Amino acid sequence: MKMTKIYEGAHQWIMFGRDENKPDNIIDSNQYIVRTANKCLLLEPGGTELFAPMMAAVLHHAPVEQITDLFASHQDPDVISSLGLWDQALSNAKLHAPALWEGYIRHFGCESIQYVPIPDNGETIKIESVELQIIPAHYLHSPCGFHVYDPQAKILMCGSVGSAFEAPGAPVFVERFDVHVEKMRYYHQRMMPSNQAKRAWVDRVRNLDIDILAPQHGRMFKGDDVKRFLDWFDSLQVGTGV
Amino acid sequence: MNSQTKSQFIAVASITSELSAVMVVAKEISLAAANAKAIAFRAGDKAKGFQPITDFINELAKETIELVTNINVYALLLYRLTVNEYRRTAAYNRFEQVAKLAVGACYADSMQEPITTARTIMQDCQRQFKRDVTQLLGQLEAVMHHARAARVIAANSRIEASQAGEYLQSLQAVAESVDKAAHTIHDNVQRCRIALSIYRNS
Repeated sequence: MKMTKIYEGAHQWIMFGRDENKPDNIIDSNQYIVRTANKCLLLEPGGTELFAPMMAAVLHHAPVEQITDLFASHQDPDVISSLGLWDQALSNAKLHAPALWEGYIRHFGCESIQYVPIPDNGETIKIESVELQIIPAHYLHSPCGFHVYDPQAKILMCGSVGSAFEAPGAPVFVERFDVHVEKMRYYHQRMMPSNQAKRAWVDRVRNLDIDILAPQHGRMFKGDDVKRFLDWFDSLQVGTGV
Repeated sequence: MNSQTKSQFIAVASITSELSAVMVVAKEISLAAANAKAIAFRAGDKAKGFQPITDFINELAKETIELVTNINVYALLLYRLTVNEYRRTAAYNRFEQVAKLAVGACYADSMQEPITTARTIMQDCQRQFKRDVTQLLGQLEAVMHHARAARVIAANSRIEASQAGEYLQSLQAVAESVDKAAHTIHDNVQRCRIALSIYRNS
């Protein structure tokens, strides 16, 4: 599992992905942690197959007992099907996930972890002194989804938005936006159902000060590529599956 | 899922399936008892010895239905325990995998506690499963006992039927159906017992 520190300040952001031992027939996904002095928030914990390499990678940054919070942007198995395993490994943790999906996500196994339902209009999560804004991203692509914005680190973990599927070992940041666009186009057009929802999200996100856009699949965007992505997504017609 | 877990799931699921067939047959016996009672009533003195037998048959059928109902509840609990054991074992195996992959990580040692806890819970589940299987086998034995008793009653019914004159054929048919039902119950329950016996407490 590749680990890349993407922010280092009073707290840290680390991206995990490009697992070399991942079975070929499951999609690659990015996981993130927000590490504070005594706590660790795991964003998009991943699928069951990914649990062992992911947990092993996190142990380079935090002990098990300090993994206190999990976040799932939506209900898909590549995001959170490992929940049943985290549930047995962590003795005192919370899962922040959409209220709408609670009864569904619990199918993955959630007995000891406390499910903290996120209301439709979002909220704020506090991990020690770090305040993270939970931004609504409904219908992108899930009918109920959320992204995580860290105003201090200027990072937006944008779930499915900005996702692309790449060959194993691809770099973690976009290097040539014009080339990268073609890796994202079909996914966004096919998976995102609503132009209205897309526009509302773009308008909201344009008001945030962002250095890094961190999607759940593929490469992250930084610097000018953040604006390039928002412009590109804004003009893209989505919902083409019908 | 390994082959032992698969067979454990199949064994537990097969109990419910076999017992639902037993339930149908037990209800048939109950019906046969009601039928026999009506015939014996019509036959009057000619079937005097048959009348108390019909009550026995009916009682036996009722008790079998009650026993099977209880066993079904128990079988459902056993199924849940099997699912739990499967989850616990899967988690333990993954945690062991984490420990191997995390060699050299700063906080690798912190995985020891979850591993120990997972191992303990997994072993508790395994012991509980064996205990529950042993108890279930005891309950299945009680159903077998009822099936054997039904066969004895069927034999007695045949003797009594032979003295019932023109009602002989009808009463013999009742005796036959009780005997056949008892056979079916015996065979189905025996299959449950064979499937489960490898998991019992030694």
